Amino acid sequence: MSAPGRSASSRSARKRLAGRRALLATLMLLVAVASAFPLLWMVLSSLKTPAETMQVPPVWIPRAPSLEAYEKVSGVINVGRSMWNSLAIATVTTAGILVTSMMAGYAFAKHHFPGRSLLFSVLIATMFLPPIVTLIPLYRLVGSIGLNASLAGIIVPNLANALGIFLMRQFIAGVPDDLIDAARMDGASELLILFRIVAPSVAPAIAALALFAFVYHWNSYLWPLTVLQGNAEDYPIVISLSRLLSYNRGALNTGLVMAGATLAVLPPLVLFVFLQRFFVDSIVGSAVKG
Amino acid sequence: MIRTYRASAGIMLAPAVTLIGVFILLPMLLTIWLSFQDWSTQTPFSSASFIGFDNFREIFGPTSVGRDFKRALLNTAIYTALSVMLILPLSVAFGLMVYQRDVAGGTALRTVLFSTYMVPMIAVTLVWSKLYSPSEGPLNQMLGLAGIGPQPWLSSPRSALISIVVLNVWQQIGYFTVLAVAGLTQIPGSLYEAATLDGANRHEQFRFITLPLLRRTLLFSAVIAIINAVQVFEPVALITQGGPVGSTNVLTYHIRRVGIERAQGGLGSAMAVMLMLALIVVVCALFAYANRKDDQ
Repeated sequence: MSAPGRSASSRSARKRLAGRRALLATLMLLVAVASAFPLLWMVLSSLKTPAETMQVPPVWIPRAPSLEAYEKVSGVINVGRSMWNSLAIATVTTAGILVTSMMAGYAFAKHHFPGRSLLFSVLIATMFLPPIVTLIPLYRLVGSIGLNASLAGIIVPNLANALGIFLMRQFIAGVPDDLIDAARMDGASELLILFRIVAPSVAPAIAALALFAFVYHWNSYLWPLTVLQGNAEDYPIVISLSRLLSYNRGALNTGLVMAGATLAVLPPLVLFVFLQRFFVDSIVGSAVKG
Repeated sequence: MIRTYRASAGIMLAPAVTLIGVFILLPMLLTIWLSFQDWSTQTPFSSASFIGFDNFREIFGPTSVGRDFKRALLNTAIYTALSVMLILPLSVAFGLMVYQRDVAGGTALRTVLFSTYMVPMIAVTLVWSKLYSPSEGPLNQMLGLAGIGPQPWLSSPRSALISIVVLNVWQQIGYFTVLAVAGLTQIPGSLYEAATLDGANRHEQFRFITLPLLRRTLLFSAVIAIINAVQVFEPVALITQGGPVGSTNVLTYHIRRVGIERAQGGLGSAMAVMLMLALIVVVCALFAYANRKDDQ
């Protein structure tokens, strides 16, 4: 927005400015409260006793915070196993995406070959394809190669994606050609150049992509639900959680549901708090440079 | 030398191209092919038999299959339109709040807004299903304090769909705010200085500088918002199951129910093809509209 009018020297103009600032500050506070309220309420409710969650008028802040709800959650779903499954899915998928995206991004940014822009366009177009469009044949396809109802079935189809290739190409294009040519003169192989020379100079972009991929695949629901076919052993936490809602409908299970939700939210949120700069940079990178 | 680089470009591309080819492009082509087949999802692709446009006739026909699909298509269109209509203005308003320097706290606001984007949709669904709870839910409690009677939220066919839009907008708005801020930083400050010298007030500056120069950003945001909106699944699958009386039956949920749960792979694929076509038409129309504005 523009700089505040410096010519506004009269008292009434200054008063108007102060009034506008107060209004703006109030609005910003309201927006922040509205945005934060559901998550705050989630955490607070998870610490309430069952009686407190049902009380009218509501108890906003639990009088004696208890972890009772968390204990109960582990009685309904296998929290440890589910968290482990989520971690395995998100980590392995992310590692795969990093490798495939860096390799393809490097080829698109620094190699010349016929059909380069056509191939790039085709791959990028898949970024705009909602997963439901391919879900039915993909389900059958993954089944026919024997990966249904397994963690591998969740992971393998997601090991490469267009967004990753796009981001890596954008950032690797900014690496000086001289650096790469010098390494080629020394006889370094292309893979060595990519991982020893190019990768370190785009490290922030790699971190951003890693976080994005991790959070996305930690949170992903539709595909795991479809491919697992009720194999509860391999449920990631987000699918296990859906069983909490049906466990006991009504107010009695509010604390239970909120405790489960809090557990599932924690890993991505903690990552975000520490590394939000990378998230924001990569979104801006994908939008502005595109 | 050149030849070896070409060979290595092939090696570099092979993993990504193979994976995307097998798990995205091939299924997409299969979806199109299956939409012309009579095929059960329980059976191999080889058991499909060609039936021309019968699947399309059925999903637009007068039977319950057609009624359900048309309702899902309409619900998705309403859902998408409402999402975009809420997301675009809010993202600009919040973006301006984050970007301005008159009042401190912009970056903190961005952090708060964006943090919801990290929350798994399933957790969002669980939390909001309780927030919306008719009797003890905090939303109705707060409305009660303000002297407004309890709202039915997810339990009435009139308000269920918009209630799901609201929880989705709440989750995603931080992402679009960051996009808006990125667009705002691209606008040269000198334009505002010149406008101030010319005596333009803030309202005029917003209308004649900010909005026009944000058009590319808004176009990008609109496309992403549309693609995201047609993917809504968790709240429908978990809370409403498409109800009450079909009012939240949206395409992602409906296509999965038909194509996977009922194993009617041909019918489900025809629906998926229609969704793809609808998206292509809408996105092309948006781009055409933006280009025409650019020419003006």
